[in-house]
Amino acid sequence: MRIYKNLGQALRGLRLNRGNTILMTLGVMIGIASLTVIVAIGDGIKIKVLSRIANMGFGPESFSVIAGAGKMFFSRSKNTTSMSLEDTEDLLALPTVRLVVPRQRKRMQVINKKEFTNTRIYGVTPDWQLARGWKMEDGEFLSDSDLDRRKRVIVLGATPARKLFKSNEPIGKMVRLQNNYYRVIGLLEEKGMTESGYDPDDRALIPLTTSMSRLTHQTYLHSIKVVALDSSQVPETMEAVRQILRRNHNLSALADDDFRFITPEGIMLWVTESEQALNRMLILISTVSLLVGGIVIMNILLVSIRERVREIGIRRCFGARRSDITFQFLFESVLVSLLGGLMGVGLGLAMSFALKRFDILPTHITVEPFILAFMFCSLIGLIFGIHPARKAAFLSPEESIRSQ
Amino acid sequence: MNLIEMNSICKSYRNIGFETKVLKDVTLHIKEGDYVSIIGPSGAGKSTLMAIMGCLAQPTSGEYILDYEEVGKLNDRKLSRVRNEKIGFVFQAFHLLPGVTALENVILPFVYAKNPPSNIKERARELLAKVGLEHRLHHTPGQLSGGEQQRVTIARSLVNDPRIILADEPTGNLDSKNGVETMKTFDNLIKEGKTIVLITHDSEVAKHAGRIISILDGQIAADSNVNYEEQARSL
Repeated sequence: MRIYKNLGQALRGLRLNRGNTILMTLGVMIGIASLTVIVAIGDGIKIKVLSRIANMGFGPESFSVIAGAGKMFFSRSKNTTSMSLEDTEDLLALPTVRLVVPRQRKRMQVINKKEFTNTRIYGVTPDWQLARGWKMEDGEFLSDSDLDRRKRVIVLGATPARKLFKSNEPIGKMVRLQNNYYRVIGLLEEKGMTESGYDPDDRALIPLTTSMSRLTHQTYLHSIKVVALDSSQVPETMEAVRQILRRNHNLSALADDDFRFITPEGIMLWVTESEQALNRMLILISTVSLLVGGIVIMNILLVSIRERVREIGIRRCFGARRSDITFQFLFESVLVSLLGGLMGVGLGLAMSFALKRFDILPTHITVEPFILAFMFCSLIGLIFGIHPARKAAFLSPEESIRSQ
Repeated sequence: MNLIEMNSICKSYRNIGFETKVLKDVTLHIKEGDYVSIIGPSGAGKSTLMAIMGCLAQPTSGEYILDYEEVGKLNDRKLSRVRNEKIGFVFQAFHLLPGVTALENVILPFVYAKNPPSNIKERARELLAKVGLEHRLHHTPGQLSGGEQQRVTIARSLVNDPRIILADEPTGNLDSKNGVETMKTFDNLIKEGKTIVLITHDSEVAKHAGRIISILDGQIAADSNVNYEEQARSL
């Protein structure tokens, strides 16, 4: 086949013009390497964000309803008093809801004799542990009887436990909140600080009833955590929750919600928005570097053709058609791009591994960027090779044979 | 019948608005098996005439019939095929592909041949042996002497068994010994029935041919048979 012969001639051309071949390969290699590294970094960051969200206690089937209008963690109104235990009961009656955990929250001092620390105190129901899936390090979690009898018991997170008791055994000891003493009945397993500096272990839990009667002296809730039966039911559950709460809170059709949702998707959106902007910038950079690679190929091929005018003339004298010359140079450009692409992928892989290994940036290596890189490579070879190839083919054989 | 038939060929080049007439109304017929020298001073239009004869350039006007085919009417595909099958080029500057072995250089016309024989390497080897280069098959042009390079060129021109050999100053870059060798090779080719058109400015070299055409200022100044008996036929 004629085309295979052209391919063979292209291979020979690349071998004979090593210098140019290496330069062209480098151009593509750097473009592809940066492309793959950037995609690996982007994926790595995304995975880290996802695990961070998982650490925050959100399974894909759960979401929180926080009292007060606003968005995500930012409230527009203070001291919204409309969310109550009745809401909780109505929400639990929804068919797609598995668990409902009402919560009160207050930041205050916890005191153990001379040691004290400031932490978040949550008044919760025993279902909290199920909803969060948080294991115990030691002791027991709050029970239904603790709730019913408004017992003064407390479960400590790892951070306040360490601050209050150092290396001593906290279970069974008494700690003071305001003027009441609470017996420590359990210790939560340590989760560790997240990337963003949020410490999930900096908390203490008491029964919701105790919190209402002895701590906040209020009956309204800070938030309700809702766990749906299945993650696919989250959107419809959220809508149902919204209807119930709006009705319970007597909101007119025109009024805004006096509560807000925090969903895993919502958090992810919030966290990744800035990262997406970063991604977009990085993609732009890698596109530019690919483009530069392509232009490098084109320019070097154009120079190479000027150097090889005689060769083209000789080939034409002995029967090469214009199409033969076009294909030969096109093959050279595509082969160089693929070779550069292959090396670029290798370099990109090495760089991704290095970034991860030395903890510079999180990277995650997937197949897609490699397929993408190869598609880009052949495309770049074709697009940027066509002009030089046509130029070579349309040289006059008479003039090119005479050129020195 | 005439293998090469040129009727009123004109060729002009346009260069920044200037029109240079290189060939002016050249009419030339060459029979199969002829050994023709084209002689003339540099700038007379010899090389342009050869380019047109070798289908490397198209005439500005006039008619060129090569082996019953009017070249002016052929497209690039067919022209390439004519160059590939009917013509073998031998150049003053050899024009071998640099960095490519003698054997591969000789094979080049096969790369672009429509139906290359299956034993191309064998054929190329035979031809290189015929010009006395069987020990230089895998040498690149840079490793060969001028005379050896010219012999590779001749082997390459013969590989597709063309009917016409077009040689542009084949002895121009050679010493006298190699020049004589080259001319001997051409003498042998004529005996094998090839048609040879030899372009030169050396009248001694030209005398090897049976017919000498001299070109002056783009026109045929003289066309004479070296054979005295037929000299009267000159135009």
